[in-house]
Amino acid sequence: MQSFPPPDLASHIGLILITDEIQAPADFLIHGFLNLRLKDSKQSRCLLLSVSEDIERIRSVASKSSLNISQNARFKFIDVYSHLEESEAAGGSDAPDTSPRDSQLRRIFDLVSTELRSAPDSDGKSLVILDDIATLEWLGYSVLELSRLCRALRALCLKESATFLIRHHVLDRSELDPLSRHLLQLCSYHVEVRPLSSGRSGAVSGELCLHLGPVESKPVYPLITRSAALQYRLTDGGAMFFNRGTSEGVL
Amino acid sequence: MSLFKRRTPSRQVVLPPGTRTCPTSISTVLTSSGIPSLDDILGGGIPLSCSLVVLAPDSQSAYGELVQKYFVAQGIASGHKVCIVHEDGLSFAKECMWTPASSSNDPMPVLDEDDAVQSEEKIKIAWRYEQMKKFETTVTSLPADHFCDTFDLTCRIPMSVIDEAHNTKRLIPLNLAINNDLASSMDGLVNQIRDVLATTPSTEVVRLCIAALGSPEWGECCPADILRFLYALRRLMRQYPHACACVSLAPHLCTGLWAGSGWVQKVGWVTDATITMSGFGANPALTALFPSHHGLVHIHKLPTPHSILPTSDRYSTLRGLASSAAANIGTGENNIAFRCMRKRLVFETMHLDLEGGVTERRTKPSSTAEIGQTPTHVSNTAALARVAVELEETLVDKKTQGHISFQGTESGTTDANPQKSKRAKKKVAFHSDKPDLYDF
Repeated sequence: MQSFPPPDLASHIGLILITDEIQAPADFLIHGFLNLRLKDSKQSRCLLLSVSEDIERIRSVASKSSLNISQNARFKFIDVYSHLEESEAAGGSDAPDTSPRDSQLRRIFDLVSTELRSAPDSDGKSLVILDDIATLEWLGYSVLELSRLCRALRALCLKESATFLIRHHVLDRSELDPLSRHLLQLCSYHVEVRPLSSGRSGAVSGELCLHLGPVESKPVYPLITRSAALQYRLTDGGAMFFNRGTSEGVL
Repeated sequence: MSLFKRRTPSRQVVLPPGTRTCPTSISTVLTSSGIPSLDDILGGGIPLSCSLVVLAPDSQSAYGELVQKYFVAQGIASGHKVCIVHEDGLSFAKECMWTPASSSNDPMPVLDEDDAVQSEEKIKIAWRYEQMKKFETTVTSLPADHFCDTFDLTCRIPMSVIDEAHNTKRLIPLNLAINNDLASSMDGLVNQIRDVLATTPSTEVVRLCIAALGSPEWGECCPADILRFLYALRRLMRQYPHACACVSLAPHLCTGLWAGSGWVQKVGWVTDATITMSGFGANPALTALFPSHHGLVHIHKLPTPHSILPTSDRYSTLRGLASSAAANIGTGENNIAFRCMRKRLVFETMHLDLEGGVTERRTKPSSTAEIGQTPTHVSNTAALARVAVELEETLVDKKTQGHISFQGTESGTTDANPQKSKRAKKKVAFHSDKPDLYDF
């Protein structure tokens, strides 16, 4: 039976973009990456910047794969929207030319940089997950501000040798919106989670592909093309993966 | 082998009335929406701390509002605290349905038009199928179940019940204070809801009903406002996990025409559960194709409060993914449609009519099949293969009209509706000159 993500991918220094659709959400992938880093490496830290999910759900899903998030000191959960609300309530920014919303996102950047720099006991490799960026765009933050935030966070993660994961919701695969295009230009690897073209099925929940981003020149991990997509089936705590056309481990 | 010890639960969790735990995850508490078939689709009920959005794009019908009224009625019947956000919340509550007065000892479910037919006739059926249970297209709740009450659309909620709930602060109407700025009035509403939730003890379930979000009384809404409100509502539900919310959007907001493509998906992403009930009202072709239904149901998102896989995937009878056969072989999900009958609203599986489907089990012909005066040519445009269906009716002598009737009762009246007595004989035409018909 297959497994995804490959362990080295979860420790790749750079931006990994995960795109999903409403018919095939990528929650299981986020938890998969989290599990991999927290279980395999005893020293790496994980920072989850969550816009849509709350800590309760993450805790209960993690407990299904016997991972105790609340006791784990290496895991830090940041509720992005509450920080944004606080900075909105705090008032305007110092520099007169930046808009108030700009400074709110700046606060998120400052938070992440303090977290990454204040971990002396780790082996230096951290995982930062931003879940998800599309909701921030729909709530009213402009594409410009969000792309600046992504670029800044990516540069920060490269400097601190951390893996940066961004989850983005795609509404229309044929016509990419500006934010998607911007993120695709920044990423080293792009994991695309799509529903089956024939609709929902009982045995297969969807399929995923791994593409190389424009930043990397040569792929280090084996890529998964759309024609040979890895199919998955959701379980309570994660997903089972199998090759397209086979039924290993499922039937 | 004697090392096995029985694990007994150390403490019994007492659930609030009108709720039950989810079969798959113990931490999820479910509450009923008032419609048993909708509960089945959602995986047993609406989980607490979740928000459900019902989209009903048909502007001539009020299916979204109907689902809301069931939600409110079930809340009042279970003794939950119900907050209604509406222009006039109390009058909205007064229009709700209620349980019929004499149903307490009746083990049979409410009889409707269809049931009346079946109970009268004894179908001649092959002996090997006689033991099989009747083909069910929907699920109903057990009569002794206190989780979901059987509501009757012909019964109105008694004024005494409304007054009592209002006086004991279990029915709270909330208003949107219209300021010039919609964002601040929405924030004000969110604060009002937060106040209600904060002052309710966590052992009491709070149901939040937001009827017609985005209707004219809300003012000029833009898509970002609606999304921000739904997002804030979801955050509130997470913060106060003894509450659940049911929102219905105004009809013109339910499709991508208003906010651009991808709108329904955006709504799905910022809430926990989203379904669309698209009625056939404006489309005569669809009504002719599916004569026994009033609309189709599209499921965009299902609630997953504590797991990755929605409970509905494993337990829903209507969606058809629950059986192990479906999981192994990989059959697709059932199509679901809804029907508003005289006494209730049901969600049921949708099957193509007699000649339209490939796998189909029907033990009686559809009594509500449409019969036209002239042979009409109905083509099933949904499938790739073209099947031509012709309807021809056989004229029945007026004298024998009284004996042949769909209701199965002897009626001596000769002035019965002439349309009902005509029997439609459908035949399928196989065109040999079009070889792509069943080309495997």
